[in-house]
This record gives sequence, C-alpha cells and structure tokens, in this order.
Amino acid sequence: MAVRTIEVRERVMSRNNEIAADVRSRLAAHDVTAFNLVSSPGSGKTTLLERTLAALGEDLGIAVMTGDVQTQNDADRLAAHTTRIVSAVVTNGACHLDALQVRSALDNVDLESTRILFIENVGNLVCPASWDLGEKEMIALFAVTEGEDKPLKYPKMFRNAKHVVMTKTDLLPHVPFDMDRAVANALSINPALGVFRVSATSGEGMEEWFDFLRTSARRVVAP
Amino acid sequence: MHEMSIALEIARIAEEKLGDAASGLVGVAVEVGDSAGVEPSSLEFCLEAVFSTPPFAGAQPYIQRCGGDVLRVAWLEIEDGS
Repeated sequence: MAVRTIEVRERVMSRNNEIAADVRSRLAAHDVTAFNLVSSPGSGKTTLLERTLAALGEDLGIAVMTGDVQTQNDADRLAAHTTRIVSAVVTNGACHLDALQVRSALDNVDLESTRILFIENVGNLVCPASWDLGEKEMIALFAVTEGEDKPLKYPKMFRNAKHVVMTKTDLLPHVPFDMDRAVANALSINPALGVFRVSATSGEGMEEWFDFLRTSARRVVAP
Repeated sequence: MHEMSIALEIARIAEEKLGDAASGLVGVAVEVGDSAGVEPSSLEFCLEAVFSTPPFAGAQPYIQRCGGDVLRVAWLEIEDGS
C-alpha cells in the first residue's frame, strides 16, 4: 500500500463564491441592487423591512427574500405590506443562507420590475458572515436592547458590513444603552462603516434610511 | 455553528478530486485562518464525522492554523489500492 499526497489548495468557499458571482451578474444585468440584512435574532430586520416596504415598496420596486430556519412567518408578515414579491427560503436547520439558495429563490423574483432586493438572512451574527450571497453590500442591524460590545464579540460581521443600522432607538430612554460607545465599538472594527439610527416604530431616523435606499436605486439606473 | 456546512463542502471537494478513489482517503489537511470565522476543534469534530461515512472510510483531519481569513483544503492523502 502506497500513500500519496495530492496538493489541492482549493478554497472551501470557492463553489459558493462562484454561484454568488453568477447571482451578482444576473442582478447587475437587471440593474438590481441587493442588500444582505444580517443581525442577531430579534434585532428588528423584519420590522425595518415592513416599514420600508410600506413607504417605498412600490416606488423603488423592492423585492424581499427571507431566510428562516423554520416557518415562513417573516415572509407572511412582509407580504401584508406589499403586492411586491416576497420569497421565503426555509433553511431547515441551517444557520445561514448560501448563494445556491439565493440563486434558486431568484427564479421567483421578477427582476425586470425590481430595483432593490433585500435578502433577510437568518438571525445569527456568526455564520452568515462567511457566505457571500451575491449582494452589493451587507448591512448589519444592531438594536439598542443588545450589548454595546456586540461588534467586538462578532467582529467578522461588522468588518464585512458596509452599513450598520442602529434599531429600536425609541427604547433608548428605557434601556442602559450607551449609543456613542456602541457606535465607537462598531467603528473600531470597521472605520468605513456608515451608521443609521432608526426607530421603525416611531419613524425617527427613517427618512435618512429611505434617502439611502432612494440613492441606491437611482445609482443603478444611471448610465 | 456552521462548521458542519463547511465540513460537508470539504467532503464535496474531496469527492470531486478523488472520484472512485474516495474510499482510499486517509488524511485531509485544511488551512484555517485566525479570522476565518471557523472554530478549529468544532471543524475537526465535524470532519471526523463526515469522513467516516461513505464514500469515505475514515480519514484523519489535520487542521493547520494560519493568519487572515484563509479557509482552504491544502492536501489530500490517499492510500493506493495496489
């Protein structure tokens, strides 16, 4: 019996990344800007999307893909706010979405009439950071009910994100959350991070978020 | 938490490289960077499980720590049937 070694040097994520590149080119061909929303469970991804769909869903041609371990409850909640397409992906136990699931779900989305696609990832600050889905950018949500040191505990997510949305700011008077320290922690991991401060419940700060989305939608249709 | 998905992807890569020779696999080396977001001992545990089920017949995982966000299969060791 002879033992021999085969050099491989292949990146483990290479297949996922190839599929993500395919998703990216399909989206680009239709001028669709995709955002991958990530956060802990309960940080307000679905509520932020509910308000966003109600305000801008029709104007900006927003489509949503929701990832959940079980149930399509989030997709059902969002569908109540829009006639636009909400596509549910149930991961059946997996802790993240991968590019293959997104590419398959893309078949249910009318890309012609879509300008912004939100991919609501599984609530989890660890695993989704490793899977490129073909999005333009990852956006992390960070609720004021969480610890200010969350970016330090989960650096990869905050390093990969381009924006962080501080959510539930209406609760600030009731919780011992130090907003400045939380934002400083996020920026210490990723100094280029853009920061929004919103309350989807009171509407505070939402206009700035909406403006960002309007600009994102415009940018892709410009020649 | 996602180490099992990664172990399964590593198994897929090994199967793709080895084809019918997969049952002869005796060692798998995986480079894991410090900021790859992967827990090495958890990955090792998952690899042991994955590589003890067909078409594999029990291959030893070797985790090689390195810097950055590297996550790749370095080499495969197979025992030739001859």
